[in-house]
This record gives sequence, C-alpha cells and structure tokens, in this order.
Amino acid sequence: MVLTDAARDAWAAAGEPPADVVVIDDERAMCDGCRQVLEAEGLRALTAPDGSRGLALVERARPHVVIVDLKMPGMSGTDVVARLSELDPSIVSIVITGYASVDSAVESMKIGALDFLTKPFEPEQLIQSVRRGMELSEARARVREAPPAAPPAEEGLADASQVALRGLEVLGQYYRLGLRRRDFVDELGRLEAEARFHAETLGRIKEKEQVLVEVIEDLRVADEVIASHAYRKSHLLQVLLDVQARLNWLPRHVLKWISRRLKVPLASVYTVGSFYEALNLEPRGQHLVELCTGTACHVRGAPRLQAMVSSLLGIEPGQTDLQQLFTLKTVHCMGCCALAPVVKIDDRYYSNPTKTQLEGIVESCKQEREPSCQG
Amino acid sequence: MPRLRTPADVNRLRGELQAAREGDRRCVSVCSGTGCLAYRSQDVVAAFEREIACQGLAEHVMLRRTGCYGFCERGPIVVIQPEGICYLGMREQDVEEVVSETLANGRTVTRLLYEDLESGQRIARMEDIPFYRHQQRLLLAANAAVDPRSIDDYIAAGGYAALAKALSAMRPEDVLREVTDSKLRGRGGGGFPTGRKWRTTRDAPDDVKYVVVNADEGDPGAYMDRSILEGNPHSVLEGLVLGAYAIGAHEGYVYVRQEYPLAVRNTLRALEQAREYGLLGRDILGSGFAFDVHVHRGAGAFVSGESSALMAAIEGKVGEPRPKYIHTAVKGLWDKPTCLNNVETWANVPLIVSGGAAWFCGMGTAESKGTKIFSLVGKVNNTGLVEVPMGMTLRQIVYDIGGGVPKGRGLKAVQTGGPSGGVIPASMLDLPVDFDALSEAGSMMGSGGLIVMDEDTCMVDTARYYVDFLAHESCGKCVPCREGLYQMLGILDRITAGEGRDGDVELLEEVCDLLEVAALCALGKTAPNPVRSTIRHFRDEYDAHILERRCPAGVCKNLIAYTIDREACLACGACAKNCPTGAITRAPYNDHYVIDQDKCTRCGCCVEVCPPKARAIVKVAPEAARQTL
Repeated sequence: MVLTDAARDAWAAAGEPPADVVVIDDERAMCDGCRQVLEAEGLRALTAPDGSRGLALVERARPHVVIVDLKMPGMSGTDVVARLSELDPSIVSIVITGYASVDSAVESMKIGALDFLTKPFEPEQLIQSVRRGMELSEARARVREAPPAAPPAEEGLADASQVALRGLEVLGQYYRLGLRRRDFVDELGRLEAEARFHAETLGRIKEKEQVLVEVIEDLRVADEVIASHAYRKSHLLQVLLDVQARLNWLPRHVLKWISRRLKVPLASVYTVGSFYEALNLEPRGQHLVELCTGTACHVRGAPRLQAMVSSLLGIEPGQTDLQQLFTLKTVHCMGCCALAPVVKIDDRYYSNPTKTQLEGIVESCKQEREPSCQG
Repeated sequence: MPRLRTPADVNRLRGELQAAREGDRRCVSVCSGTGCLAYRSQDVVAAFEREIACQGLAEHVMLRRTGCYGFCERGPIVVIQPEGICYLGMREQDVEEVVSETLANGRTVTRLLYEDLESGQRIARMEDIPFYRHQQRLLLAANAAVDPRSIDDYIAAGGYAALAKALSAMRPEDVLREVTDSKLRGRGGGGFPTGRKWRTTRDAPDDVKYVVVNADEGDPGAYMDRSILEGNPHSVLEGLVLGAYAIGAHEGYVYVRQEYPLAVRNTLRALEQAREYGLLGRDILGSGFAFDVHVHRGAGAFVSGESSALMAAIEGKVGEPRPKYIHTAVKGLWDKPTCLNNVETWANVPLIVSGGAAWFCGMGTAESKGTKIFSLVGKVNNTGLVEVPMGMTLRQIVYDIGGGVPKGRGLKAVQTGGPSGGVIPASMLDLPVDFDALSEAGSMMGSGGLIVMDEDTCMVDTARYYVDFLAHESCGKCVPCREGLYQMLGILDRITAGEGRDGDVELLEEVCDLLEVAALCALGKTAPNPVRSTIRHFRDEYDAHILERRCPAGVCKNLIAYTIDREACLACGACAKNCPTGAITRAPYNDHYVIDQDKCTRCGCCVEVCPPKARAIVKVAPEAARQTL
C-alpha cells in the first residue's frame, strides 16, 4: 500500500480512512465489481452512486485515482472529471463508457482523463489502468510538493541520475513503511538497470541524430547544387562534380537524392558516377596525392616516383590510408610535362621531389592535422 | 562598360584602349600558366606588386599576369616590355633586384637571362632565344600580350576584329568559303578538313544546330589546348562565334576537362565578359545574329574526347561512343547537326577571317597549312610548347628549338599522336610535320604531343605503357577493344617480365589487325598504332626481350639489377637515404655501400641521387648481380 505524506495528513484530518481509488457509477454492480477487483489487488477502494456524492467523497478521501462513468443521471461524467482536476490536479481520472464511441473518449481525454475503459472490460485492464494512474498521481503530487525542480538535464547521464533519484525517493517511502531489505535491494537494482538502459538509449538516439543531421546537411548541399543547375537532367555529371567539390566524395544517400531530384534512375547515376575517373564513390583522405602517369612523366621516371611515394605513405594508388589522411591516385597527364615527373599534393605541384623533400611534405600534412583535431 | 552595338563600336573601343595604354609605361608580364604556377609564379607576382609600390614606380609600370609562354622548363618566366627582356626561372627573392635594376634604371640582370647551351652567351631578348627564334607563334604570341581575365586586353591586341569584320562585311557563306579556302585541317588529331566539316553541318536539314569546342585534351603528354584556353580564352570564343555564324548555329558548348581547373575558370569569366559586351547573346553587334555558349566539364575519361562520346557526355549520359553510321556533323548533340572542333582549330579561325585564306595558305606544306602547336616533352633540354609552321622537320624541332637530348644521351625516337600515334625512329627525323607524312610513317599528327625518347627508353615498355593506358580507358562497350587490348596488355606484360615466347610478336600483330577492323570508335581503331610502330621500327628490342631475356635500354625491372661499383662508390650514403625499401646498407668494414638484391625493387631511385662524379650505381643483368655477391 502506498501512502503519501499529504494523503496521510488528509486521513488524519478527516478521521476517515483514505482511499486509493474512488469509483463513481450509477450501476451498483459495476461499483461493487470494481471494488472487489481493486481490493484483491491490495488497494483501498470506495464507491459513490452519482457525481455530486462522488465529488464529496473524493474531497474527504483524497484518492489517487477516480474512476468515473461518463453516462450518469444528474451530473455527467465529463463535468465530474472537469471538477476533479479543479479540486486537486494530482488526482488522475479514468473514464468508463458504455458505448465505444471515439468521440466521447476523445472528449474525456481532452478534459484531462488519463485513460478510458469500454464496458465490458476485463479485471486485468482495470488494474493496469489504475496502476498507471497511481504512478502518475504520485508523480504529480511530488511535483507539487517538491521545490521547483532543477532544469531538465541535457545529457543522457544527467537524465539517468534524475531517474535514479526519483527511484530512491520512492524507495525511501517503501523503506519508511518497513518493507523488507531484500525488496529494497532488488528494486534498487532494477531501477539502476532501467536508468542505464535509458541512458544508453538516449546516447544512441543522440548519435543517430548526429548522423541524421549530417545526412540532412549533405542533402541540403546537393539541393543547392541541383537548383543552381536548374534541375536539368543533362547536368547530371556537372551536379556530381559540384557536389563532390563540396563534400569531397559522393555518399550513397546523396546519389539517391540526386536521382530523385533530377528524376534520373539511380542506376544511371551510378553508371555515370563509376564511369568517370574524377568521381569518388568512396570517402577520400584529407589530403589528395596525385601522381602523374602521362607519357612525359613516364619516360622521365614516374614509376620510380610512384615507388617512392607508395612506400612513404604505405598505400598503393587508388587506396586511402587508415587514418583517412592521404588518398593516393594516379592521373593520366596533368598537363605540366615540363615538370616531369610530377606529383600533386592537394593544390601544389612538386617536380621530381627527393625522398627527403617528400618526407618533409608528408610530415607537414600530418602536423597540419593535429591542431585542427585539438581545436 | 556599355554594350557594343555595332561592329564599328569594337574598333572604336580598340582605338580608345590603345590610346590609353600608349606612353612610356613599362609592362611587366609574368607567366601564370599552370606550369609556371607550379613553380610559384603567383609569389613572384605578389613580390612585384610589393616592390613596385615600395620603390614608387606604380605610375610608370604596369603589371600583367598572362597565359603560358611555352618555355615551361624554365619557369616562372617574366618579360619586360617594351625592351622585350626575358628573365627565366625568376624567384621571389630575385624580384627586388629586377625592379631596382631593370625597371628603375633600365639595366638588365644578367644572371637571370637565358644562357646559350653551346656558347655560354647570355641572351636578353625573348625573340633571340633559340627556343623562340625558330618558332612561328601565330596563336601563342597573344598569350604573352593578354591577361586571360581581361577582355579589354584581348580587344586592344586586335581581338574581335575578325568578328566585327565578318558581321559587317561578310555573309555566313563568305566566312565558310574563307575557311574552306584556307585548307585548315582539324588540329585534334585526324586532320579532317575543317571547311568540309562545317559545310556538312550547315547543309544538314535541321533548323537547330550546335557548335562544340572539344577541350577534353586527354592525350598524356599534350597540353596545347590547355595553354590556349587558359591563356587566351577569347580567341577560342571568337572562333566559335564565327563558326556558329557560318554554320547557322545559335548554341554552343565548351567541353573541358575538370583536370584543368584554371581553363574552366578563365573560360567562364570570358563568357561573362563577352555577354556583357554584347559579343554573345541576342543580336550580336547589331547584326541580328544570336548565339550563346555553355561550359560543360568532363571528369577524366579519355574516350570522352571522341565526338559521339563527348556529345553523349554533354547530354548527361555516360561518355561512351556510339557507332557512327551517321556522322555527328549531321546527327550529333540531341540528334541535331553538330560541328565539333578542338580548341586549336577554333583559335585559328579568327586569324583566317582577319588575315584571309591566301595569307594562311602561304604557310605550311601542300596539304597542311598554317602552324601547329606541339608540346615538346620527355628527354629534351627545352621542354615546353612550341608553335611551328607545317613542314618543319622533326629534327629542327627537337634540336634547334628543343636543344637536343640532355646529358649527352643519344636520341632513340620521338612519339607523336599520343596513344593513337606511334613512334618515329631517329633515322626518320627529317620527316616534315605534315598530316599525311606522319601517317605514312606509321604515326599521326594527333593533337600535338611530341615526346622525345632517348637511349634509356625501352620501346617495348613504351608500347606496354600505351596499351595499359588504353586498356584502362577503354569504355568496354565493344568487345574487340575491351578484350583485344586486355590480351595485348597480357602479352606485353609477359614480354617485359622476361617471359616472352617465340611468336608473341606475330600474335600481337594479329590482334592489331583485328582491332583496326572491328573496334567501334577511333580509340580502338587507332589503339594498335603504338604497338605496330614499335614493332615496325624496333623489332630488335622485342627480340632481345623474348629471345635473350634482355632489356637493351635497361628499363624492364625483371630483366635488370642494380649493383654498386665499390671502386667508384664515395660512400656518401645518398642512395641508402633515398632507397624506399631500405635495400642499401654500408658494407661492414668497407668504404662502400651494397644493395641487397632480395629487397631491391629496381625502382632506380638510387641512380637518380648518386653524385654525377661517382656514377657508382650500375645496371647489370640479374644473374651478374647475383654473382658479384
């Protein structure tokens, strides 16, 4: 049996035993049935045959949950529910209705009922509904009694600690009532597990949210580019090039989006995307290293340069290193044959660099990354 | 700037621009082509800006960033007018001296001048440098006078005069006749008569026609088109407008590789300026003729330079060729008659319209008129872009202009025409530059790559290189090209790995025959050329690989090994430091280094860094290397 301090005070003041539940219904059988079911569950239930007497009983007994029949002579169920929330906002009302009319159910929810039960209902339904009502009512009572709560915590863990605190508070009440220590420990463990579960879920949701934000950002970029090309199908390649210039590569969701927006089959988008050397369907490293394999470079030692660059970066042409720092590519002629053999790193051309020079360049690329990581 | 409304407006504007620029102002032109930018010419420009302001010369000196000068080997190049002083290899730190000496006091800075290879004399003026002296720079000359980002520069240098002339005094058929009479042939490779191509599109029965600039210069080792489009985009644009006028097209496209970002930028800017001036759009120069141009970027596919593939790419499809039962000149872009020419061809048009067909015919050979730009690259002293009149011999180009082969090595061959061309052996160097003469020799003019190969170049490896390139770039649509190239590559791989079999050469020739007959487009049909021409002229090298397991040039990795001559070794350790696999170590108790043959990948990095006075690293046959251990 759960008792709040407020309820105990009310009981003491009125000299009448408090009730957990009050049932207001003009049908005697219904009232008795409900009471029996609830008392079997260890809940204290009182009944009243009409609205006005019911309200008077509630005022005295201060229950957590009130079950109200919608259709009653005299004061109607909806009026009773409305009055109840004025009387004590922590009281939770559940309505019973004879006809499964959606309208009446909606109406009762609007005026503040927690739930509604359609006659005839199973005892189990009633118990479940009342249990939920009890929990809600306690929570409401606590909000009213407690000083203004701390602002809602941002992080999942803070939320979890709130859950745990609430749990402890409730358990404290159990404890005061002389419950067994084992129950206490079990309950604490369950609550803790629940808190962890919620924290994890929250974390996962946040991660997913982050991914979603990024995806949406990608699609927004794609949309801008597509609009700048006036949604012309013939501009598919131009759109892909422009999107890649901004995103560094072409993720699948972007290709799908482009396909939808330009009304071009996804297969066509992929055909174009995989045909052209310049388009990347896989993520690219932060720095792009391009080795020229034009004829002029070939006869002046491009294969030698390639061996050196590959061994220095530890990747072969077409690969990206595990840190996603460098992508190595070969290009058929960059049109600066006078510098042959040439390697282009990001936007700078290097003419026949020595191993020491290359090491310096690679090192400075790595250095560049560090501050941006920390900052 | 107000719109130009009549042809006379163009000439008036030119007069005004020229008058404003006269006077005693010096002009400093800094090459800002891709080659020179790679040498950090932008830093030189910034230094000039600083220094000129610093020394209070801003009133008297004009600074201009121009397109490519062609002598890319020696960049960044700076030319000072009106004297025409040419400084090569300018660095940021040289700028202060140039400003205080040359600009302020008119003295030349000798150490930055060109030094003649033989006499050691310093040459001050650009025109006197052998590299330039033997050229005839019709198209490239403007690169030095024009800032590619300024339409005013182009107009002041005589630009858009041809367009003004055509729109005021010539009917479309007059322009067409002029181009036909000039015997201009397509500079992209095939050498098809431009006039006849234009006529076909003009006569095709359709109201909507297109003109297209092919700037998808995919040939490895060629960058002429890049240089023109980057350095003087308006000349191409003017040619395109003239072509559209002659053909009756109202829409044009420039298809340019995205590997050439500067060319894309400069072209887009040129289009904008031309629209602003009323040289594009509705009612050009009040003639009632309407025309506009779009830019479309390619994305790294060699085959997309083929006409039908290029048009498919512009339509937004995959850039694959189609069978050309009907020519693209009749059914091209969106099945409309489309006239496609490459950058250099279009750039020739304004010159022909201004100068007249008779003047143009005065240059060149009987069937090849005008000039041709080559990118002279590979094992040659003066690498760069050269423009020569048709009919000049390859020997003149390589030796007089290019200054011969470096390090005193002997010339083995020159390669022209890129992957569709072939090699021309040293014995045939007196061949003139002429579409038909080069084809007869088993090569082709191509778009103008001219790669010089010395004794250290293996011809089998060269053939393998081109077949590898083509196998990679084949779109795979037709079986002969896709499978044929793959098989050829397999055979060549085997030969260069020292596992060639008797009969391999004949097998290669058989596949070559097949490709020539059966491939769908020019990529496949001309793909055998590199293989065929190397077999034709260098059969002995194939035999050495197959029969003797020997690479005469010492290139094929499986057939060579490197050792260190312990007598010659200075023990400087440069080789060990630069070896990517760590195969070189110091011999215990000895003053020389040794190569671990098991670790060595024969990349040749050590040869490159071994001091010239030592030359201790020698190439030997693999068995010989094992024996010395």
